[in-house]
Amino acid sequence: MHDMKNMDEHHHDEPMEDSEISSWKKKMKWSWILAIPIAIIMLSERIFGFMILPEAYSSWILLAMAFPVVFIFGWETIKGGTRGFVSLYFNMDSLIALGTIIAWLTGIFSQFGIVADYSGVAAMIMAFFITGKYVEAIARGRASQEIKKLLELGAKNARVLKGKEEIEIPISEIKIGDVMIVKPGEKIPTDGIVVKGFSSVDESMITGESLPTDKNVKDSVIGATINQDGILYVKATKVGRDTFLAHIIDLVENAQGTKVPIQELADKITGIFVPTILIISIIVFMNWFYFTSDLSRSLGIAISVLVIACPCALGLATPTALMVGSGMGAKRGILIRKGEAIQTMKEIKIVMFDKTGTITKGKPEVRKIKTAKSVKENYLLEIAASIEKNSEHPIARAIVEKANLKKYKEVTGFKILRGKGVEGYIGKKMVLIGNPLLMKERKISLKEFEETVESFENSGCTTMIVSYGNEVLGIIGVADAIKEDSLAAISMLQVQGYRTMMITGDNERTARTIAKEAGISEVIANVLPEDKAKKVEEMQKEGMVAFVGDGINDAPALKQSNVGIAMGSGTDIAIESGDIVLVKGSLVGVVQAINLSKKTFGKIKQNLFWAFAYNTIAIPLAVAGLLHPVIAEIAMALSSITVVTNANLLRRARI
Amino acid sequence: MKKIKLKIEGMHCASCASNIERSLKKTPGIKSATVSLMTKKGFVEAEDSVKDEELQKAVSRTGYKLTGIERE
Repeated sequence: MHDMKNMDEHHHDEPMEDSEISSWKKKMKWSWILAIPIAIIMLSERIFGFMILPEAYSSWILLAMAFPVVFIFGWETIKGGTRGFVSLYFNMDSLIALGTIIAWLTGIFSQFGIVADYSGVAAMIMAFFITGKYVEAIARGRASQEIKKLLELGAKNARVLKGKEEIEIPISEIKIGDVMIVKPGEKIPTDGIVVKGFSSVDESMITGESLPTDKNVKDSVIGATINQDGILYVKATKVGRDTFLAHIIDLVENAQGTKVPIQELADKITGIFVPTILIISIIVFMNWFYFTSDLSRSLGIAISVLVIACPCALGLATPTALMVGSGMGAKRGILIRKGEAIQTMKEIKIVMFDKTGTITKGKPEVRKIKTAKSVKENYLLEIAASIEKNSEHPIARAIVEKANLKKYKEVTGFKILRGKGVEGYIGKKMVLIGNPLLMKERKISLKEFEETVESFENSGCTTMIVSYGNEVLGIIGVADAIKEDSLAAISMLQVQGYRTMMITGDNERTARTIAKEAGISEVIANVLPEDKAKKVEEMQKEGMVAFVGDGINDAPALKQSNVGIAMGSGTDIAIESGDIVLVKGSLVGVVQAINLSKKTFGKIKQNLFWAFAYNTIAIPLAVAGLLHPVIAEIAMALSSITVVTNANLLRRARI
Repeated sequence: MKKIKLKIEGMHCASCASNIERSLKKTPGIKSATVSLMTKKGFVEAEDSVKDEELQKAVSRTGYKLTGIERE
């Protein structure tokens, strides 16, 4: 499925930021070794009038000292920047390159008295530029620290059972079906199923769930989680790029490839920023020269304009905040798939919850059974379980589990009637299992059971009526308990002013009972799975809707809603749908996701404000000739550092 | 239509990312392109006919290095 080509093997596994940081650091050190003496010489000569160097050679020496700073330590900037003038793809290096080259050249022309000497200034600009980039690279690295941690989370080696021998192999050599031995305190190498042993596993690094989870034979475990106390034998089910961890990393990374609509304007400006500044600086130079005839001053101002302008503050405002926000989310099991979701989130008025598996545990149990006169409970269950064994539906599984049969009756012609029930034949007679609606459709009389149905439903049970050869054998009441924290999470949303609703295929009475337990008063019941999206659409007329549901059955509704929040079950995530994916199945994640989105978006707005403010104030100041080129460069470096640092401050927000 | 992920080296500023985006979008067959400075990755939606060499060219003409192509 995936096919990764590495044209440059050598750089593959090295964390990118680190190599970037260390290269800027080296350049920074060297450039200051020369730039500091240059600064001392310049300051003492020009401000205090004290000549450190013999006057005749002073400017030549400065020119020579500035050369390596600009052209050796700043070589990549000069190279990258000047290439822009050939390819017409200008980046901010183009501004710095042009500014420093012109400034340095004045050192030569000054020998002939044509212009003042800015060569020392060139070195200072380059040194500050490099320093700024170094600090910014560190801050950017910090912004993605959670993601980097995820990348490093995977185990390196695995102990695998080969025959009767234990051998240690690198993680990349594990194959599906291999049995791994995981000792207490060790990382589970890759996703799998426990085949032997019992232990509790710390899954907090993946799901954000702080309590360890008990794992028994047949339970699924996630790679990179930590085995706590027992020895586990785990059969590998997923390896490499298909593992849960790999999916999470993919998801978080891909989110960076999506855009938050608010950044559109900033992006547009970033795209034309550099060429625009180049043109402005030429105009500024010509204007100043025309009106003042002062070549030195005009050049100085033009250089200030070149180096003060920085597209980075604008361009980094959104992605850095999004990065920090999605990193914070990933740590808590909240995966932001689309940047757009965090902007839309603040407009959300209605939060719609699917019932099964979202508000409830999604593991229904048989609670009540009522048989027809002369029918034994065991017989009813035997017929029902034999049929339901063919279905994967949670209710079907609950019935099969309850019956706990050793031998099933032979079933033919099994059919699933979506949203209604199932049918099949045992012998020559047809078995129908389903809701009252289905019975009505098939004209099967429920008369004897009407009261039972009502009382089952009032207690929150879904009623499954079992009929055999057009005769009702009995009714099975199946109930799905609500998750422990559903009530708390929903009431938190209500306190925040959200309208909460529950949508379900259950009948009105059952649905109301469950909704009441969860603290929800608005219920849309009797909705067929395929109609959920339509109901969402209807509600959207009253306000923006966030839909919370499982990513598989509710995919269309998640898509239709303004923000789709897909609930994971803990071991599987529905990657294909949902704007936000919750790894852990708790509704508290919904509250956190909403808070995180709002906080992240607030930070983006703040960042964009500062970036725009900086550019609209600083550039005119430089144009007006009020800023020395070195001050201009420092201001520029600070602007992008401020934006990235501000994004990092998002971590202080309480989610 | 395919989604392609690119690994790009050498970016260090916001206009770098925006240059590569622009260059990729100009390549025939590429429907959308976004480049992230934060993850040093590019995300491209392109016709199946778009070759690795064309992606390589689009990135290198802006002065950066394409070090990995991952097709879904």
